[in-house]
Amino acid sequence: MVAARLRLTRTQRRTITFYLFISPWLLGFILLTIIPLIVGFLISLTNYEGLSVINLHFVGTDNYVRAFNSDADARFSLGRTLMWGVYNLPAWLILSFVMALILNQNIKGHGFFRTLYYLTSVVPIVAAITAWKVILDKNFGWLNGFLSIFRPGTAIGWLSDYALQGMTMIAVWTGLGAGMVIFLAGLQNIPDELVEAARIDGANSWQVFRYVTLPLMTPIIFLQLILGLIGVFRQLDLPLVLTQVGLARGAVPPRQIYLYMMHVYRQIFISNRWGYAFSLIWLLFIGVAILTLVVFYTEKYWVYTERPEEGS
Amino acid sequence: MNYPTRARLIKQFNHVISYVLLIGVGLIVITPLFAMVTTSIKQMSEYMVWPIKIFPTTAQWSNFAAVFEMAPYIRVALRTAGLGLLVTFIVTFSSSMIGYAFARYPVRGSKPLFFLVIGLMIIPYIVVLIPQYILYSRLHLTNTYWPWIFNALVGNPLYIFLFRQVFLTFPRELEDAAEVDGCGPFRIYSQIFLPNAKPVIATVMIFAFGAVWGDYMMPLILLNDDKTLLSVKIATSYSNPQGVWLITIAMAANIIYMMPLILVFFLAQKYIIKGVVTSGLKG
Repeated sequence: MVAARLRLTRTQRRTITFYLFISPWLLGFILLTIIPLIVGFLISLTNYEGLSVINLHFVGTDNYVRAFNSDADARFSLGRTLMWGVYNLPAWLILSFVMALILNQNIKGHGFFRTLYYLTSVVPIVAAITAWKVILDKNFGWLNGFLSIFRPGTAIGWLSDYALQGMTMIAVWTGLGAGMVIFLAGLQNIPDELVEAARIDGANSWQVFRYVTLPLMTPIIFLQLILGLIGVFRQLDLPLVLTQVGLARGAVPPRQIYLYMMHVYRQIFISNRWGYAFSLIWLLFIGVAILTLVVFYTEKYWVYTERPEEGS
Repeated sequence: MNYPTRARLIKQFNHVISYVLLIGVGLIVITPLFAMVTTSIKQMSEYMVWPIKIFPTTAQWSNFAAVFEMAPYIRVALRTAGLGLLVTFIVTFSSSMIGYAFARYPVRGSKPLFFLVIGLMIIPYIVVLIPQYILYSRLHLTNTYWPWIFNALVGNPLYIFLFRQVFLTFPRELEDAAEVDGCGPFRIYSQIFLPNAKPVIATVMIFAFGAVWGDYMMPLILLNDDKTLLSVKIATSYSNPQGVWLITIAMAANIIYMMPLILVFFLAQKYIIKGVVTSGLKG
């Protein structure tokens, strides 16, 4: 042992220790991420149906061509996903940012409100959706009941014809706490001196917000936007649980919330079109990667970065 | 402070608006939870009425008894809790070890690998889960709990990140002194660093348990009904023989189901929020 140690330099020893420590992750990365990704890609080039490999053969890019040319449902589900992003992302970002701004003032009871808003984030998805079924039900829902006060006889299908809007409410409800807490922490990192200085220079509240707070918050907004965007495209839990709670595995989802991943899920578990489903997954993966890069590219135009080296 | 009257008025106006918004949003946030409670003590006939009745005429506490009669609730809950605890311990151990290595061993390759860890958070999990499902079914590991164990052993990017952030702040002398005393790397990690990271350990354990307890996708895809976990069980039980879903009893079941998480939240709020903040700000 001592002899073995003597032959290695300290750096080499430390390198070995490092790799030993992270070996579980490294192994898992190769076995549970890289290999499944490659297997998934290979399957996307075949007509694999998940049952037997007897009829398995290589079909080249057929699956990809089909996704583009002859699958109206795929195009439809992509459209729904984009609409989902249009509803969900701004609603969630703006509401959590506004609530964080309000709580960041030295307001009485802010601890209480923070706890209240965060509470919903720990509610498991099945419980959240069951609860919202009571609110959003078309015939006996509380929301329609409330709206009927103003317009008697309101019967909006928040879980059918307007399911995307209904689902947005659920998503904002569950996501508000986490979003707000992150914005709040960012706001508290803004040095008081900057706000003071702006005030002394005669800036009003709006100007302080517009020229001090907002620019300094852009890195956090940027991060939340990226994570939110990825979340939009990979969203499967919400529409799936909304479809299945109280019903069955094979229940048909409302068309309004037939998101892209729902389409993929049904290709695999309902239609057994594995090969095709994996081509859809890879297309999504590439699409999201490109979109993320595009957003990253816009970073330099609107995200504030500190440049301590640059003097005046 | 002597504000000019106009400025003071604006300030007061601002204050009023703030409270109106806070309370308004607060009411919206609390309403579904409140609806859960009142629905859970209604009869189905009181749920299905128009105009809606918020409160039942008499509280139907028997709904809570029905939760346990209509489904093997306790058995599935114990199974879920057992798996949750096992996963929690394993993933906390592995993530802390990996996080420790990334924080204290800045050797060649550590930086790019760390970016890889974080970058993996961006890959939608489902993209990996479905191919994993094929591998697991070829290895005859579907309908077992091994996939949970494997995923735990590998560590979780978010938890690795949280541990790394904390271990980065520890002073160098701590290691040096231990090394002089002849401690090996694993002992330095387990006996010096780990005991000083209790708040992160608490945070990660809460997250990890909540993740297993609340997860719907893995049990749905990997387990059959005889082995399934509480989330799927609750979502698919509580229909009457005619196939009508009894939302009142399902609601009672959901209240019992989320209670442990709510209790932990009130006890350990500080840690949870700190964890979310760390992951959000520097991720």
